[in-house]
Amino acid sequence: MVSKGYFFAVIGRVFAWTFLLGLAVIVIYPLLWMLLNGFKTNSELFANPFALPQQFSWQNYVNAWNRGVSNYVTTSVLVTVTSTIATVFISAWAAYGLSRVKIPFSKFWTGFILGGLMLAPTVALVPLVKLMQALGLYNTFWALLILYTAFRIPFTTFLIRAYMIDLPFEIDEAAEMDGASRWKTFWHIILPMCTPILVSTVLLHVLFAWNEYIFAMVFTNGTGVEPLPVGLTSLMSKHGTDYPVVFAGMAIAAIPVLVLFFASQRYFVKGLSEGVGK
Amino acid sequence: MTLTHSAPPRRHPSGAPARRSGRPSPALFSRRLSPRGLLWLAPAVLILLSFVYWPLVQNFAFSMTEWDVYTGTQEFVGLENFSRLATDPVFQRSLLNNLLYAGLSLIFQVAGALLLAVVIESRRSERLRRALRAIYFVPSAISLTVAGLLFYFIYEPKLGMLNHLLEAVNLGALAQPWLGQESTAMLGIIMMSQWQGFGYSTLLFAVAIQRIPRELYEAAEIDGIGPVRQFFTITVPLVREMSGLMVIVTISGAFQVFNEVMVMTSGGPNNSTQVLGTWLYHNGFSRNDFGYAAAIATVIFVVTISIGLVQMWYTKRRRVQW
Amino acid sequence: MKFPRTQMAALVAASALALSACSGGSPAAAPAADLTAEPDYNGSISVLTKFAGEPLEAYFEDVAAAYQKKHPGVSIELIQETDQSIKDKIRTLTASQALPDVYFTWAGNWQENYVNGGLAADLSELIAPETEWGSSFGEASLDAFAVDGKYYGIPLYSNGKFMGYNKAAFEKAAVDVPTNFDELISSCEPLRKAGYEPIAFGNKDGWPGLHYLGQLFAYNVPAEVLEADFDPQTASWQDPGYVTALEQYKRLVDSCTDTGAGSNGVLYTTAQEAFSGERAAMYYQEVLEFDSVAGEKKLDPEKFGIFALPAPADAAGDPAAIEGSPEGYMINARSPQAALAADFMKFATNTQNAQTLSATPYGQPSAVKGAVTEETSSKAVFEGIEKVNEASQLVIWLDTVTVPEVADAWLAGGEALTSGSSTPAEVIDSVRTASESAK
Repeated sequence: MVSKGYFFAVIGRVFAWTFLLGLAVIVIYPLLWMLLNGFKTNSELFANPFALPQQFSWQNYVNAWNRGVSNYVTTSVLVTVTSTIATVFISAWAAYGLSRVKIPFSKFWTGFILGGLMLAPTVALVPLVKLMQALGLYNTFWALLILYTAFRIPFTTFLIRAYMIDLPFEIDEAAEMDGASRWKTFWHIILPMCTPILVSTVLLHVLFAWNEYIFAMVFTNGTGVEPLPVGLTSLMSKHGTDYPVVFAGMAIAAIPVLVLFFASQRYFVKGLSEGVGK
Repeated sequence: MTLTHSAPPRRHPSGAPARRSGRPSPALFSRRLSPRGLLWLAPAVLILLSFVYWPLVQNFAFSMTEWDVYTGTQEFVGLENFSRLATDPVFQRSLLNNLLYAGLSLIFQVAGALLLAVVIESRRSERLRRALRAIYFVPSAISLTVAGLLFYFIYEPKLGMLNHLLEAVNLGALAQPWLGQESTAMLGIIMMSQWQGFGYSTLLFAVAIQRIPRELYEAAEIDGIGPVRQFFTITVPLVREMSGLMVIVTISGAFQVFNEVMVMTSGGPNNSTQVLGTWLYHNGFSRNDFGYAAAIATVIFVVTISIGLVQMWYTKRRRVQW
Repeated sequence: MKFPRTQMAALVAASALALSACSGGSPAAAPAADLTAEPDYNGSISVLTKFAGEPLEAYFEDVAAAYQKKHPGVSIELIQETDQSIKDKIRTLTASQALPDVYFTWAGNWQENYVNGGLAADLSELIAPETEWGSSFGEASLDAFAVDGKYYGIPLYSNGKFMGYNKAAFEKAAVDVPTNFDELISSCEPLRKAGYEPIAFGNKDGWPGLHYLGQLFAYNVPAEVLEADFDPQTASWQDPGYVTALEQYKRLVDSCTDTGAGSNGVLYTTAQEAFSGERAAMYYQEVLEFDSVAGEKKLDPEKFGIFALPAPADAAGDPAAIEGSPEGYMINARSPQAALAADFMKFATNTQNAQTLSATPYGQPSAVKGAVTEETSSKAVFEGIEKVNEASQLVIWLDTVTVPEVADAWLAGGEALTSGSSTPAEVIDSVRTASESAK
């Protein structure tokens, strides 16, 4: 005899399993479809969206790469790397100043830097176009580097500062008594202690910079400085009906960050859960 | 995927460094007020000032001008752009769409994600839990541009996957030109962004649930309290902090929507999917009406800053409770 | 929106400060660019084209390379955009006072804004019909870019909208080329029975629908009324022909396309592909598209035929009008290199380059006289240009001939009509409202 409670428990488990698996299919299948479409020919794509490609040839991926995606990837890598370095260092300095140095009006400065968290990039869009133009930076790599840095400093500073505050204050004093300067204390003692949060902020910034769209769209105009997200939309309009190439381009854009995510999951989670306070 | 490298949980209400009880040597510079310490902040402050705060001030100025882009002249018109907003049906539509976005995101990305996190965390195998969280997170790691383009093709009336799927299960009558008609286009975009974002919030809730002491559930179990009541009496109250933050972040994000709409419909058909961000862009960059665009930007500013202030108040209150 | 008084005062003060600090506006009257001077073959010029993507991209690249080879001191920076992206891009560049030395333009209100803003150099001395350069162009295409008797544009190619059809499909369905609008509609049923989508249509971007409407307006509305309505000062949009045309459009979408009311969800490129992949029997297209639709690995050019959208039998307008207009380039009035820029464009429009442009794979029928020949251009392009030249008048695209507010109202209205959410009367009402507020 099976008890009634056991019966309901089984039903419950079956239900939960179906639900979890169903959701996983909803998540994965569109992505799989995207990858597969990158292997199809145009007529296969139009004929039946569910069919598998007749043969797995890399031609569409090669075409996508040669038709501009290589340029977009180069720009994206360059902007992502440089803006990550700039953002993390500038933010770490600021976080150090805010959390471990007795500066005048420290509350004001904390508010000034972290207040930037509340500002939506769209609000500054129109004046920024004028400003970048006046500086001669419009449609250059520098415009993106500066904006990606500027608009991410508040968030990154917030994360690093929260971590630094929790480090015991004795560390600085001990270092000072050993004759270390502030600069040395920062570089050789505090910063290395912050490695976990630094890794998280780097990952979050990479995720942001690789995927950013609105600045990239407004501040670049198709002369070799377009990063991937904008490049993909122009791939779509430039290559008219060759949709498999567009799908291949999408896959090329998606894969690096996915790989990064799976390689460093736990830092991602750490950064995300700290960052939700933003 | 547990939190392995948390710093010691010592928070200080003021955010200022902790004071030690022992008397420090007054000669130590780490104890003295240091104006030179401002140099640490200088790069951040200068960049924020020139590229975040200054454009913001300029935006207020621009919102009160009429701007002829061809001749480059700007004329002060006071609040005219704002009174135009009041009578602009597309602006109202945009505002409603942002609200709809916020509402549906609250249902899926806060309530739904919390439930999902509970279901995941109640699985026994840690490996399975980790795998599920990672799978659901995958869409959040790809960009909204890729996700938007992908769903443009999924919704496409002729070669799209969704309509073919409906036909395959004999529901062909439900097939729609999803993004091609006013009644379903906005919904289509919002559902795409739920697909893209639910794994992210699920992950965060899972982390919050992991922090709840197991003993509470074990005690409830002994008292014969079922899983539904456990959810309402233990889980919900103990993840309230996270839920509160998620609500705020979700609403704030809903008012900054831009990317997915631009990629999937550019605000069409018949302006039915315009949101504040795209309507700003359209007026500024397609209609040359930069003054009006700046006025819309001001509205976005007011909304997001209010939400930000609510959040600050919320976080402060939370700290005091601790 | 209301502000408390003190905040308001602060806001005004802040804005006055910001304005005085940053809007050192440039004068509307541009310094006259010295076009007639002997060009100094040193330095660089920037050129904004509409030729991004294959196959067009290579055209300006080749021309620029050849020009730089001829004049090693010159470097040419090409900014190539697509038909869709150029609209926003050029406006951004304009707003930030960063127009390139040479830039693409449509005719109509689009071009007039640049002329009136002092951003386009007066090229009359160089390109008026009686000049040496000017005499190489068809006069009508020069006139399309003339404002108040002055010539501002360098016409690059002509264009017109035609219904392309698949001859094999028409044969299979036993239908003839329709001679009036009703015949077009009634040809759709047999085509569908023969296994084809009668007309492929994708209206995601809004303008494909407007192209039908522009042509139908020319058929249904008397020419002088249409002209008055295109001018924001005299526009009234009262003629009953507009509603007739909107109704005809709706009939066509509902009975001749497979996507019908859902066409707003389809890209025009998908429609183009359906036609060149022989799944659709007709596709309404520009001459510029002919060589991308028919050719190698596409629709067999032997099967490809064109006809003007058939006019309704009792049309009140001009049944011999064709929608289309030349597209061209202007020279930035503030360019320090105006003479060099003009020289480059003269090179780009010499007979040899004009013939290259008109031939496959580009298929852009040059505005230069004699550049489109049966030998060098594809059959369809040659035939299309013949028809454009025979047309009683060319009607400019609805979305570039009108002011932006009205163009926007037409775009939104066309989409609403397509999906069936607005009636023709509601659409024309919304256009009238937009037109009033634009005055």
